[in-house]
Amino acid sequence: MRELRFPKELYLGEQVDAALNVFARFGRLERDEDELTWIVRVHAASAAKERRLAGELANYALGATIRARGER
Amino acid sequence: MSAGVDFAALGLEGLRVDHAAPFRMRRVAEGATVLTALDGRFAILDDDELRAFARGEVEEGSPLFEKLAGANLLADSFDVPAAAEMLRARRSFVGAGPNLHVFVVTLRCNTSCVYCHASRANMDAVHTDMTPEVAEKCVDFALSTTNPSVTIEFQGGEPLVAFDVMKHVIEYALERNANLGKELEFTLVSNLSLMDEEKLAYLIDRRVQICTSIDGPADVHDQMRKLPKAYGESGHALTLEWTRRINERYREMGLDETLYHVEALVTTTRALLPRWKELVDTYVDLGCRALFLRPLDPFGFADKTGDRIDYPREEYLEYYRRAVDYVIELNREGVEILERYAAIFLTKILRGEDPNFLDIRQPAGAGIGQLAYNYDGQIFTCDEGRMLHEMGDDSFRLGDVHTSSYRDVVGHPTVRAVVIAGQLAGLPDCNDCAYQLYCGVPPVHSHKTQGSIFGRMRESTLCQVHKGIQDYLFAKLAEGDAETRAILERWTTIRPREHFLHGA
Amino acid sequence: MGDGSVELFVDESLYPLEAVYGASFTFLDRCFVFLDRPQPGRLRVILSAKKLGASPEVLREMVGEFANELLACAWREKITERNRATIEAVTMQAIGGAMGPPSLDDLEDFDFTEEPFEDPLGIAMSWEEKYGKKTAPPAATEGDEE
Repeated sequence: MRELRFPKELYLGEQVDAALNVFARFGRLERDEDELTWIVRVHAASAAKERRLAGELANYALGATIRARGER
Repeated sequence: MSAGVDFAALGLEGLRVDHAAPFRMRRVAEGATVLTALDGRFAILDDDELRAFARGEVEEGSPLFEKLAGANLLADSFDVPAAAEMLRARRSFVGAGPNLHVFVVTLRCNTSCVYCHASRANMDAVHTDMTPEVAEKCVDFALSTTNPSVTIEFQGGEPLVAFDVMKHVIEYALERNANLGKELEFTLVSNLSLMDEEKLAYLIDRRVQICTSIDGPADVHDQMRKLPKAYGESGHALTLEWTRRINERYREMGLDETLYHVEALVTTTRALLPRWKELVDTYVDLGCRALFLRPLDPFGFADKTGDRIDYPREEYLEYYRRAVDYVIELNREGVEILERYAAIFLTKILRGEDPNFLDIRQPAGAGIGQLAYNYDGQIFTCDEGRMLHEMGDDSFRLGDVHTSSYRDVVGHPTVRAVVIAGQLAGLPDCNDCAYQLYCGVPPVHSHKTQGSIFGRMRESTLCQVHKGIQDYLFAKLAEGDAETRAILERWTTIRPREHFLHGA
Repeated sequence: MGDGSVELFVDESLYPLEAVYGASFTFLDRCFVFLDRPQPGRLRVILSAKKLGASPEVLREMVGEFANELLACAWREKITERNRATIEAVTMQAIGGAMGPPSLDDLEDFDFTEEPFEDPLGIAMSWEEKYGKKTAPPAATEGDEE
């Protein structure tokens, strides 16, 4: 399992959710949050797949956040 | 050090600037520094003059004073209306709408060029031919431009493979334009290997300008542009043969051969670098009036074949300088031939005008000066954007002729982004470069090579080429040779080729 | 991401967040990019090679290029702000000129019910609205209060 902790100051929640929707079919994704961070736990068939899934999901969330902020 | 100027070596310890109007500077040769003003005028100072300027010791009425004032470089005599007018002239093309419309009528091609950026298809890939229906929609789209002038440029693949499509475009465009009254031109970019007398007769009759590629002496050209034997022994021989034939036809028609001839372009590959003299001689022997010493670009096959054909840009610049030195020498002997890159920059430097070469202007022509239409009707900011699409990158796709309106396409957010990114005043390095007002770097090039449409000019091979060429030109001007200056000024003369205009 | 990752700490007083975002965006196709803020005014950028087993040279090049792009973005933000008026004017002229005036069909599709733009200088106001005599509203009568 890999845990991604996205600071709320840096990542938009709706874009993290959008990333979860896009990548849901590639593994088991759990969503959580605390006061300061969006938390995503990534489960996949192997450590290598978890690494890749976590990386692509994080990239998607970041790219979507940047785009959404740019449109504001 | 500032732009190559070593102040310590010049004995300058402190600069006065209150006497100076805003300027940018660059060392162009030993003992020669160019200063460019806000409006693009310039002065070349020797070291004594530079020291005097830097110390604020410019006596009114002195030759240095006249030189600086004439270039709008002194604060007290800074001419605001003149500067504004000059800046307006340098950007006279802004607001005119796309005038160049690249029609990729097929991806099929009978030649395999090692650097091909057209994403060619085999000769049996007829599905990559533009259909007449798509062709008509592309024409309608092109003629919707706000620009009163329209050039339809046929590209491919090899456009002559889809000659029927070309004819359909031409006839339909002429018919539609009869009511619109735009200044309409057609241009064909072809390897000429499929030309015959019948096609030529049509193209001559419809006043289509013809461009081709000649990549140097025969062995280099044929090595880089492989033509199957079924079409001829040598692509080079065929290209030269048809170039001569077409030029002969223009002469027979009584057209001025200095103005009307096949335009030939060079794509410089590594094999050509030491053979600059043979290259120039090839063009001169053919009667060409211009050669365009283009370096490789990063699109298409050049990505994969770069190991074999690419080169450091310092080597390209060395080849460029030698070739153009030779061209200038030939000019002294009465041979009329210019180098196109030099002519483009010199028009901006010496005349304060912009020749509207879309890849060296700001903002760049992508989306606002040109559009590219793929065989299937998809529309891109430029042909390079279309090439990226064929490589799997749709960043420069704007829409298609089936579902998009003209205003949707030119008002697309991508167009806005490349217009902003193409303005050098907003880019690090460019914003204080002495050549800012003469230059331009297409955002698509930066995107391909660096991942960002803004680009980092210190790492840009295109910036390196542009700076190197301009350094060479200013060094030539700094030599102060009157004959060289006269030759370079002649290269800036733009003579309209009215024979090719329809509907004017 | 663990192995194959490098970290870069960024002082936000030198490299604003927008510059970090700009640089990060250009690297999304080349590596995995993760942002963190370990303390106020300090960002951490974690770059991970997409392929496992990346050599130190590859990682070094990755972080070096990122740092270059970050500097370019930070500086560009300042330059753009300084030259904003010129860049905006040229952009508007270029796009406006290319688009041309709307046709009747375009106007038919335009949504006139959209909220009007902000008009702090009252440019869109008619002269009467702006300078005309302000008449007092009619006194309310019993019947009006329903």
